[in-house]
Amino acid sequence: MPMKITNEIKDNTIIMTLDGELDASSSVMLDEELSDPEIMEYSKILVDCKNLHYISSAGLGVFISHLQRFEDAQIKLIFYNMQDKVRNVFEILGLDLLMTIVSDYEEARSIANE
Amino acid sequence: MAKERKFSLPFTDFTSTKNNILSQENKTADSSPMLYKTNARSLLVTTAVVSWALLLANVLFSAHRLREQGVAQLSLPFLNNLLVVVFLVSVFLFQRLSTESLKGVDFIGYLWNLFSKAAVAAYVSVALFLGYKVMTNYADAESPLLLHLVYQINFGLLVVFLAKAFYIWRQLLLYHKNKFLQIAWDWFELLLGAMLLLTIFNFKYDSIIFMPLLALIGFYILFLCTNLKWVAYLTFSNKSRSLVLLGAILLSCYIFVRFFKGMENNPKLVVDYTDVGFLLLAMMFVGAYTLAAFLVSLFSLPTSGVFEQKSEDLLNFQRLSQSIQQGQSEAQVYDMLFESTIKASDASASWFELIRNGEPQVTHLLNIDVDQIKRIRHLLLAYNIHNIDYINNNLNRNPGFRDLMLPWKSLIILPIKSKNYLSGVLYLLKDIEQGFDRETVNVLRTFTSQTILTIENLRLIAESLQNERYKEELKIATQVQDSLIPKKFPVDSWFEISTHAMAAKEVGGDFYDFLQLSESRIAIIIGDVSGKGISAAFHMAQMKGIFHGLMQQDMPPSEFMKQANSALSRCLEKTSFITSALYIIDYSMKGFMFARAGHCHTLYYNAMMDDVFYFQTDGLGLGIIRDKSYANHIREMYYDYNPSDVMVIYTDGIVEARNEANEEYGEDRLKYMLQQTYHLEAEDIKYAIINDLEHFTGPDNLYDDQTLLVIKFKPVEPNK
Repeated sequence: MPMKITNEIKDNTIIMTLDGELDASSSVMLDEELSDPEIMEYSKILVDCKNLHYISSAGLGVFISHLQRFEDAQIKLIFYNMQDKVRNVFEILGLDLLMTIVSDYEEARSIANE
Repeated sequence: MAKERKFSLPFTDFTSTKNNILSQENKTADSSPMLYKTNARSLLVTTAVVSWALLLANVLFSAHRLREQGVAQLSLPFLNNLLVVVFLVSVFLFQRLSTESLKGVDFIGYLWNLFSKAAVAAYVSVALFLGYKVMTNYADAESPLLLHLVYQINFGLLVVFLAKAFYIWRQLLLYHKNKFLQIAWDWFELLLGAMLLLTIFNFKYDSIIFMPLLALIGFYILFLCTNLKWVAYLTFSNKSRSLVLLGAILLSCYIFVRFFKGMENNPKLVVDYTDVGFLLLAMMFVGAYTLAAFLVSLFSLPTSGVFEQKSEDLLNFQRLSQSIQQGQSEAQVYDMLFESTIKASDASASWFELIRNGEPQVTHLLNIDVDQIKRIRHLLLAYNIHNIDYINNNLNRNPGFRDLMLPWKSLIILPIKSKNYLSGVLYLLKDIEQGFDRETVNVLRTFTSQTILTIENLRLIAESLQNERYKEELKIATQVQDSLIPKKFPVDSWFEISTHAMAAKEVGGDFYDFLQLSESRIAIIIGDVSGKGISAAFHMAQMKGIFHGLMQQDMPPSEFMKQANSALSRCLEKTSFITSALYIIDYSMKGFMFARAGHCHTLYYNAMMDDVFYFQTDGLGLGIIRDKSYANHIREMYYDYNPSDVMVIYTDGIVEARNEANEEYGEDRLKYMLQQTYHLEAEDIKYAIINDLEHFTGPDNLYDDQTLLVIKFKPVEPNK
C-alpha cells in the first residue's frame, strides 16, 4: 500500500495527514517532507495518524532524526488519532515520553496553543 | 540361492553369445550395402563391356556379311536388340549408383564432373569420326568395317554420356525437392524404362500410335525442366563458370545428335541406333534440361548480385546474433557492425564513433580522414543533428555540405542507442545521390537494432556476473555474522536456554550474546538495529563490541545502557537507532536485574503465582536522544525468580510477523503460547512458539529478522 502524505496549512500550523504504511520506501518521502526548509516557518506540526496502519523502524527513525531540530527551533510536533497498534510501537520504544501523542484533533489543537 | 546361480550362469552365457551373434550380424548388415554396391558396380561394368563387345562382334559380323552378300540386314536382330537393352540398362544403372555418392551444394563440382567424365566423349567421337574420314579420304577406299567400328564406339560414348548426364541432372533437379516432384521423377524413370520394351520387341516408336504418347512425354520433360532451384544458389562468378560448362555440355549434345542424325538410314550401316526410342527420350531430357539451365543461368546472371547480397546480409545477422554465445566482446561486435553495414549499403566511406564517458571517439574509419570527420561533425553540430537518425541523399543541395567540398553525395547517420543509453554512432557516406534507398536503410536499421540488442545482452551478462560476485561476498558476510552470534550457551544445572535466530536477508540487524561475569552471574543481551541488511549488520557488530567492552567492567544494566547510548551517539547515523535489553542473572541471589532500552517487553511465567505476563517497564531506545539526558529515560528492575519460571526474550520480528491477511502475530498470541507450554523444557517451548509462528505466517513469508530466546530456571540440585 503506497503512502500518501498531505499537508494542510492553518495559520501557523501544518496539519500533516499520513495515509497508508510508513515503511522503508515511504519514509524517504516523509523525510523529504520534513526536511523542507519551509516547514521551519511554522510553529506547530500536527500529525494526523488516523489512517497510518503501520510504522517501521525506518519511519520511526525519520521522526527521531527531526525531533531535536524541531525542539531547538521550538516547533511543537504533536501526533493525534493514533491507532493502538501504532501507538504500541511508539510506547515500546519509549517515544511516548519523548513525543506528544494525544487522542484527537481538539486536544492536539489545545496543547499546541498552550 | 545356489540353485538359482546354477541356472543363471548358463543363461547369461547364452545371452552373451546371442548378443555376439547379433552384433556380428549387425556388422555384416552395416558393411553389406557398401560391399553390395561395389559388387554391383563391378558386375554392371562387366555386363556393359561384355554386352558392348558382343554387340560389336555381331555388328561387325553383319557388316562383313553385307560386304560379302550385299544384304543390309542384321543377323539375329532379336538378340542384337536384347544386347542393346542389356547394355543400356547396365550403363544407366551403373551411373545411377555412382551419382548417388554425390552430395552437397557444390553445383559447379557436379557440372565439372559431368563435363570431364562424360561430355568430353562427344569430342572424342568427333575426333574418331574425323580420323575415319581422313583415313578413308587418304586411302581413297571405303572401309565398312572401320565405319561400323567408329559408329559402335560412338554409340558406346553416347550412352555413357547420356547416362551420366541423366543422373547428374536428376541430382540437381531434385535439389530442395518435395514429395510431388519425387513421385513425378520416379514415374519419368519408369516411363523411360518402359520404352526399352519397345526396343526389345522392335516396335517403331515413330509410328502413328506412339506419336501422341511421345508428345505427352515431351511435355512431361518440359515440366521437369522447370525445376532449377539450384541455379539460384550460384554466385555471380559461379554462374559464369557454369555457363561455360553448360555451353560445352550443350555442344556435346549437339555433336551426338548431329552425328547420329547424319548416320540415320545410312545404307552402308547394318544398325541404326536412332531407332532406339529410349535414347531419343533420354537425349530430349538431357538436352532440354541443359538448355533450360543454361538459359536460366544466363538470364539470372544480372540479378545474382542481389541474391548474393541478401544471403550475405542474412549471414551477417546470424553472426551478430550469435556473437553472445561465442563470448565475443563489445569491440568485436562493433567490428562486425562496421564491416556488415559497409557491405550491405556498398558505402564508399564510413566511420564509427564510440561514446566513452559522453565523449565521441572514432574507433573505425574507411576512406575518410580525421580532418574530414571533424568538419562534418562540426557542421552536424551546428545543425544540431548529431547523434540522431539522419539521412541526406543529396548533400550538394545543402549549402553547408556543399561548402565542405566533400567527394560524397549521400550521408546516413545511425546512432546505436538503446532506451536511454547511446553507445555509439555510425556514419556511412556514398559518392552518388540517392545512395541510401529505403530498402538499404531498412537493412542498415536491422543491423543497428541487432547490434543494440547484442550490446545490451553483453552488458546484462556482465552485470549478472557482477551480481554473482556480490552474492558471493554477501555469503561471506552471512558467515561472518553467523560467527558473531553464539551457538552455545554455558550449560549449567540451574537454568536452561534455547535460542532461535533467522535473518530476513543475507545479513540482519538482530543479535543476542552473553558474557559470564562471575561464577554465579551471567549477562545476556538481545538487540535489534533499525533497518535491515548490510548497514544494520555493521551496527549489530558494533553493538556486540560495545557489549563485550563495557561488560568487562561489570556494571548494572542501566549504567550499561547509558554508556552504550553515549558510545552509539557518536557513530550511528541520524535515522538509525538500536533497541536492546540487558539481563544480569545472579544464581546465588536467585534473581535478575534488567534494563530495557526500547526493546520488546519481556514475557515471563511466574511458577509460584502460576501467571504469565509482560514486564511493563519504561526505557528509551539507544541513539534516539544523544546527550546526557538519556539517563532520565532508562529504568532498572530487579526480580526474584522461582524454580520453573520461564523468561521469553524476542525481537519485534516475532510479534510483528504478519499472515496473508496482513494481521500481526501480536503479544497476546505469544503470551497465549507460553500459557500453554510453560511446563515444557526451554527447547520445546521455543519449538512450540516457532512452529505456531510459521503456521501463522505461512511459508516464505519472512520480512523481518526474527530472534527468540527462551530461558527456564531450574530447581537447584540438593548436592550442589
